[in-house]
Amino acid sequence: MPDPETWVDHYGDYLYRFALSRLRDRVAAEDLVQETFLAALHARENFKGHSSFTTWLAGILKHKIIDHFRKESRVQPVEDVEPFTPTFDDLFDEKGKWKIGPSKWTASPMELYEQKEFWKILALCLSKLSGRLARIFTLRELEELSTKEICKVFDISATNSWVMLYRARMLLRRCLQINWFNVKTYEGE
Amino acid sequence: MHHWMYSCKEVTQMVSESLDHKLPLLQRIGIRVHLLMCKFCSRYRKQLLILREAMRLQEKYIEDTTLPTEARERIKRSFIYSLNKSQ
Repeated sequence: MPDPETWVDHYGDYLYRFALSRLRDRVAAEDLVQETFLAALHARENFKGHSSFTTWLAGILKHKIIDHFRKESRVQPVEDVEPFTPTFDDLFDEKGKWKIGPSKWTASPMELYEQKEFWKILALCLSKLSGRLARIFTLRELEELSTKEICKVFDISATNSWVMLYRARMLLRRCLQINWFNVKTYEGE
Repeated sequence: MHHWMYSCKEVTQMVSESLDHKLPLLQRIGIRVHLLMCKFCSRYRKQLLILREAMRLQEKYIEDTTLPTEARERIKRSFIYSLNKSQ
């Protein structure tokens, strides 16, 4: 294990990125990084070197993030009434057919990921999700928690979790389309 | 569109659900059939998969983000304080 005196300098940036990409809140990310280092310090006897030290730290941080989400969702319960619940009725006609279907995303995924602007727009779109949708979506897609585990964290039904993940994906897909692809595709098509 | 087939709206919901748990066989077949015929829904499905992949890759691509200096110093101070106390 590296000398604790060097931890913050060596692993601070990594943990901060890890936290920020999940929390999207600088202050909360800094706080959880600080807590993670302290928790790691007290638990350092438990580090057996089976995984890399970075992975071990990230594991501690991951638990802190899930805890943070759990607490947040108690303050703002998952089942509470949202002022605006997206139904996507405007996207489909009365028979359930697309009114305006998804347009083609012209870039290949690899081309996409190479562009800094794409990641900015993804971050922007994620920040537009309501807190509860963002928390659930993050645990599902970044922490790769199963919906069973997600239901436990937020104390919701499986059906409820699928509906919320559907909403998050629909909103994000549309947001990416509007802010990134439409600018490009309308020129080309 | 025949009444026994899924609508696009239903397919978008089921495609999303299929990313979270395994759907019953009949539903999977119904989705398949719909996707073969529907350009928009198959685009939608591809785009959800890109979204999923992008979420998992984003850490690699935001590497220029660093812990702000002020926060780093603060975290270091409190950490070194605890370290000295624990020794």
